[in-house]
Amino acid sequence: MKRFRRQHFWGLAVLLVATVAALGLDAHFRRALPDYAFLTGWILLGAMLVLTLYNARKKLPFLPIGNSETWLQVHIYLGFFTVLLFLIHLNFRLPHGQFEITLAWLFALVSGSGVAGLILSRVLPRRLATRGGEVIYEKIPALSHALKAEAENVALGAGARSPVIAEFYARRLAGFFSGPQNGWLHLVESRRPLNALIAGLDDLRRTGSDAERAMLEKLTTLVRQKDGLDYHRSLQLTLKLWLFVHIPLTYGLLIFTALHVVLVFGFSGGAR
Amino acid sequence: MPAVPTILERPQRWDAAFGPDMTDAAADRLLATAPFREMDAEKFPKRTPLRDILRYDTRLLRFRKGEIIVRQGDYGTSAFLILDGTARVVLQPALSPASLGRQAPGKKGLWRTLAQLWNGARPPESFSLEQLIPSSEIGARQDERDVRVFLQDLPRVLDAHRTEQMRAGDFFGEIAALSRMPRTSTIFADSDEAELLEIRWQGLRELMKNDNALRAHINKTYRERALASYLRATPIFQRLDEAQLERVAGAVEFSTFGDYDWSGDYKRLAQSGAVRPEKEPAIVTEGDYPNGIVLLRAGFARVSQKTGGGERTLNYLGAGQIFGLNEITHNWRNPDAPVNFQFSLRAIGYAHLLVAPTRVMEEIVLPSLQKNELPPPVKAKQSFDVDPPETGARENVGAEVLEFLTENRFFNGTAAMVIDLDRCTRCDDCVRACASTHDNNPRFLRHGPGVGRLMIANACMHCADPVCMIGCPTGAIHRESFGGQVVINPATCIGCKSCANNCPYDAIRMVEVRDRTAELMVDQEGKAIVKATKCDLCVGNYGGPACQRACPHGALTRMNLNNLDALTRWLKK
Repeated sequence: MKRFRRQHFWGLAVLLVATVAALGLDAHFRRALPDYAFLTGWILLGAMLVLTLYNARKKLPFLPIGNSETWLQVHIYLGFFTVLLFLIHLNFRLPHGQFEITLAWLFALVSGSGVAGLILSRVLPRRLATRGGEVIYEKIPALSHALKAEAENVALGAGARSPVIAEFYARRLAGFFSGPQNGWLHLVESRRPLNALIAGLDDLRRTGSDAERAMLEKLTTLVRQKDGLDYHRSLQLTLKLWLFVHIPLTYGLLIFTALHVVLVFGFSGGAR
Repeated sequence: MPAVPTILERPQRWDAAFGPDMTDAAADRLLATAPFREMDAEKFPKRTPLRDILRYDTRLLRFRKGEIIVRQGDYGTSAFLILDGTARVVLQPALSPASLGRQAPGKKGLWRTLAQLWNGARPPESFSLEQLIPSSEIGARQDERDVRVFLQDLPRVLDAHRTEQMRAGDFFGEIAALSRMPRTSTIFADSDEAELLEIRWQGLRELMKNDNALRAHINKTYRERALASYLRATPIFQRLDEAQLERVAGAVEFSTFGDYDWSGDYKRLAQSGAVRPEKEPAIVTEGDYPNGIVLLRAGFARVSQKTGGGERTLNYLGAGQIFGLNEITHNWRNPDAPVNFQFSLRAIGYAHLLVAPTRVMEEIVLPSLQKNELPPPVKAKQSFDVDPPETGARENVGAEVLEFLTENRFFNGTAAMVIDLDRCTRCDDCVRACASTHDNNPRFLRHGPGVGRLMIANACMHCADPVCMIGCPTGAIHRESFGGQVVINPATCIGCKSCANNCPYDAIRMVEVRDRTAELMVDQEGKAIVKATKCDLCVGNYGGPACQRACPHGALTRMNLNNLDALTRWLKK
């Protein structure tokens, strides 16, 4: 069995066994133990802390405390299991009270953003590799700027002398080259804006002189390159941004959880 | 109007003399000195006369007592002849790494490991003064041309180590020069005005080719010092007894194809955009009679097969691999249906190889092997999509990847940073981990050439043929004695850029160093102190390379690209 498949197999198998065991234990002990909500709460908190430790592991790459890949696998499968623990802690009922509802929403958002991140990190890299033209994210603005300068030179430079192309550039291309474009459309793999620009350039080519055709050819190449950069920017930014949702929400969840613990112990009658 | 071609003088072999200050008078003096005076100048071809070899392929060096001439473990492409004075070779025990300008091997202690938690806040490329002070066991002198490192306490070295004196007329370093293997001993000057002649490998090869006595001497030395132990360690000879091994060693021929200076050519071609150097001398041509098996001892070779009008690369071989065993075995088992070589073999850059003749193979080696150790019979014409069995690469990585690895010379990497772009989320955890592990200084660039979903990042590959180590005047760049990683000792690096200029992959960066307050360190003339930096494969850290351990998606690995099986497995994970 291939390595990743083996990883998935064992991860799912352990998750399945743990789920069945947790549900069985829940059915058995829910009525048997007087402080059952305390027990499930502490287990849930423990699981959440282990999940949070993954971020600490990332900050300590020089310590021999296991590969990040292994930690991520544990993070993913334990994350799914923690959702079950959360439901058990809630006794499979909707929470009530403003504070508990906020806490539950935070938990749902953290879990949801985690799942979204998992999907994005599996889908987007492949799309980036398929599109090709690997580029470092931080270099995209400089490369875009260089493309803009080159396009301006072709369309408006001293040697250009084509009012039609200059007009087209001012009307259709200046905005396109001025900054990142079509972020959302790139995410959904839409080529509509690119095709529209290429069609516009093709229209001009049909009626242009030889010199204009050469300029249009060059502009078409630059448009495609800029579109490629925008594509990379959009997907790479998404891959980076989801963590900026997941991690702050996690800290928010931890703060609310700590408050929840204090409140529960402050009004311990309410925990049963 | 037809374009007017630019006319320039065709570059000649001796446009650049090895020693810029070598004169005709010096060459004449050498011609009157042993062993050159015994050589028959008439036997040398007109294109490479003896006098010109001495004039352009050698240089005169003077060493003072205690100055190191060659270091054990260094790579070099030249041999030395003592002309005047004496030198001393260190036999047992070897000199300590500190005495050779290297850093002591070993892992960081617990405190230094934990200290990395707060060291991240340090200014980039900053050092404490203590980190840049070389060991007290060595000193350095600089003249107009060279930097010479000397042993400070020579009497103690002589007391603590068994050494042997070498005198005028003695040759050394010829095996390392001809086979591109690391130097096996450290040699230092033993008299105050020792004069040595350094002969670069091109000249040594010509001298060997045209002078029987020198050839016999080097052959003898090679067989005595290097061949027997090498053959003993080669699996197909392991069942031979001492007498049989001696017979094989006596019959084996060795030769070098290509150019040891391949990296310079390759770098120039790569920089000019013509990545594919066409200079690949044929070692074996498809269809030739198999007159022996080829054992690759150092360097690399391309296995290819004719297809249509051209040739298609099937695989490449590195040190320790064998070519031609299939055909020789087939012919031995099927004398009535012999086959010729099924593939061509060409040196990529350079290849130092041994040839065990067919007769010796049939009489001694093949009968000693078990049936299951022999390769299967050769089919009439093997298809080009079948891996040549002698390569051991059972699963193919694909022609495109193979071409990519070959054209870029990535098979040289024993720990290349390979990234699977299908899984890499571009999160830069690898870069951050590298920076955290190296006092806030990332030692690689997560970018580099790629093919399909494969990218080879711009990080030191810890090459099998570490050309960066050739020419380091202080021994600052060296192989770590335990793991073999190529590392740089900042204390003895003098910032000469020799390693960075030699590296064909641009994996070494020169940086201006700072003190802990972020102020630039300068010398007495106010010039910034510069040091070479690169990936050290986290040699001092527990757990291996931080970049690989930090990748959450299993998208990055450090891999020996000479092992195609491992690459195939990794790509198909």
